Amino acid sequence: MLKTTRRKFLKNSALVAASASMSQSFIMEAMAADPLKIWTIGVAKVTKTWDEMGKQAGVPLVYSAKSGSADQAIQKFFVGDGQKLYDAITDNGGGQEDAMSDNKAIVPLDVSRIKNWKNLIPAYKEGNVAANTIRNRKGEIVGVPYISNADSMAYNKSKVGGDIDTWDALFDSQFKGYAAMQNDSGPTLTTTAVYLKESGKQDIVNPSDMSKSEVKGVCQFLIDMKKKGQFRTFWDGFGNGVDLLASEEVLVSSCWEPIAVIAAKKGADIHYGTMKEGHQTWNNVWMLTKGGKQRGQEENFYKLMDLYLSPWFGARTLANLGFTPQMTGVNEYVDANPSDFDAKTKANIAERLKNKADRMAVKGNSWQNLYPKELRAYQDWWAKVQAA
Amino acid sequence: MNPKSNFLFKIPIMFMIVFFVIPLALTVVWSVFERTMFWMEPAFTLFSYENFFFSSRLENFLSSMMHSSISVIFAFFIGFPIAIFIRRRVKKVAQHRVMLLFILPFMVSEIIRIFALRPILSRNGVVNSFLMDMNIIDSPFSIFVFTPTGVVIGEIVSFLPFMIFSTFLALEAIPNYIFEVCSDLGVNRKRMFLDIFFPLAAPGLFAGSVFIFVNGIGIALIPTILGGPGSVNAGLIATQAIIALDFPLAMAVSAIMMFTLMGLLYIGHRLFNLTKLLEPIS
Repeated sequence: MLKTTRRKFLKNSALVAASASMSQSFIMEAMAADPLKIWTIGVAKVTKTWDEMGKQAGVPLVYSAKSGSADQAIQKFFVGDGQKLYDAITDNGGGQEDAMSDNKAIVPLDVSRIKNWKNLIPAYKEGNVAANTIRNRKGEIVGVPYISNADSMAYNKSKVGGDIDTWDALFDSQFKGYAAMQNDSGPTLTTTAVYLKESGKQDIVNPSDMSKSEVKGVCQFLIDMKKKGQFRTFWDGFGNGVDLLASEEVLVSSCWEPIAVIAAKKGADIHYGTMKEGHQTWNNVWMLTKGGKQRGQEENFYKLMDLYLSPWFGARTLANLGFTPQMTGVNEYVDANPSDFDAKTKANIAERLKNKADRMAVKGNSWQNLYPKELRAYQDWWAKVQAA
Repeated sequence: MNPKSNFLFKIPIMFMIVFFVIPLALTVVWSVFERTMFWMEPAFTLFSYENFFFSSRLENFLSSMMHSSISVIFAFFIGFPIAIFIRRRVKKVAQHRVMLLFILPFMVSEIIRIFALRPILSRNGVVNSFLMDMNIIDSPFSIFVFTPTGVVIGEIVSFLPFMIFSTFLALEAIPNYIFEVCSDLGVNRKRMFLDIFFPLAAPGLFAGSVFIFVNGIGIALIPTILGGPGSVNAGLIATQAIIALDFPLAMAVSAIMMFTLMGLLYIGHRLFNLTKLLEPIS
């Protein structure tokens, strides 16, 4: 007959608890050895392959391609199976991190576990200009920024006959039929609003969050321009934007900086200016999904974030694509690694950093807002711009 | 009919129910739901339809229908003679090989096929360079790309094989003796075209026209790559509604597009009896 004494019971309970906790930690460890499943945009990679990025971070990665549009993440996580599929994702800061956090798709981060967090540029410190783009509404840090920019205008210097420092050129009749803007209501309306506000042509309080009447005014301006034949096209997609500039089909275009960088590499005399009226500023952030945390992927995530906040990444994203590094120490890193950065690249990096600092310092800059209060007015008026 | 063949007979019906009727029904149901910030909730509202019919989206939709109709007309005038030529002038044994040539472009991704038109049609493209080198024009044409003309050219280049295939299929069903009898009776080419080719090929022509029209208003790639500023079709309107997280509007656009096309198909079937396309002529 089986006799149970209090001593035996305690001993057995202790054994069960120990074995349970060991198996728990074993399971967590085994899970952590699994690759980190990331869902991100192609420009988050600065090496030839994702394997190389994983090796550099010391984390095996499984990559899935994501578009830059915010709706994709919303659909995947709010209605789809995003939690099951991905441990870490990227998206636009300043709007999307709030939406994802409100719906418990992502978790708050323990930034003390990211060694390179100390490198983060001051713009993200509490109270500074970009602080809320990595925090949820409760003030918890939920995003790790890895690229940002102030989007400006690319122009073909030899064809337009000099440097350009105003959005006026985009709407100037001398470039009629040779101008392009992005086929996306968000950046195009914000950029136009920045121009109209700062040049005193329209009264606009906040170009990133316009009222219905302000949206109407901006769109009517664009409709007027469109009817006059100012725009050759509204570009859609990275390759399309590059092709338009590289083929000299358009000479002035509001666009992402990497488009100008790649178009220039293809041989056209493309420059990326600093507009005196201001720019739309934005960033992209890494987020840890709730599913990723549940699968024990926190450690892997923080290791990967160490890489994204290292000057190793910052120098390369700046040199290859022209994105703004989110950490300090890039120039020092480049100086210390002359074998990785030849004199021309080094000069490019220095010039781009200076231009970025100039652009970021313009007073009229306006931060990207994915969810303006009058979103419906934006969409409806954008349809009218397209139909005009 | 034994139970096994009875079951097999039901497979196509089940397929159509699962992959056509149910999605169509859901599209209509969701189109009357209420939009929320990131998704939608059950309700009955016609707001999405109002949003479509009383905004510039209707104008965009109608202009994309017009461009598609123009593409259909051009495809008819280009594709029909090609189909007749293959049926009448190419040796019987070689006819299917020639048709195979028109399938080859479909081996290449559509985005590449469309994008490849840009270096040909752009201001500095092959066509303009050729015309200028030949001193035919002084300055390059701008109308070939980033205009409605560009969209129509893209649609014709992309979808012309549909017109050729379906028309050839219809013509292939015409027995040779009909042409021989016409020839023996001295029927001239005009009457042969009007009394033989056109009526007998009509179901194929209509099927090809529907293919082109449907793709023209539904495939967003062409206006995106070859259209002018803000050029859109119905497919792009729905895509943009999804990007803007307005799912009921996207569903309403899809439902309107489907009902428009089903209406066209019904009219076409009443006029041309599309089942003839699959029936051999005896």
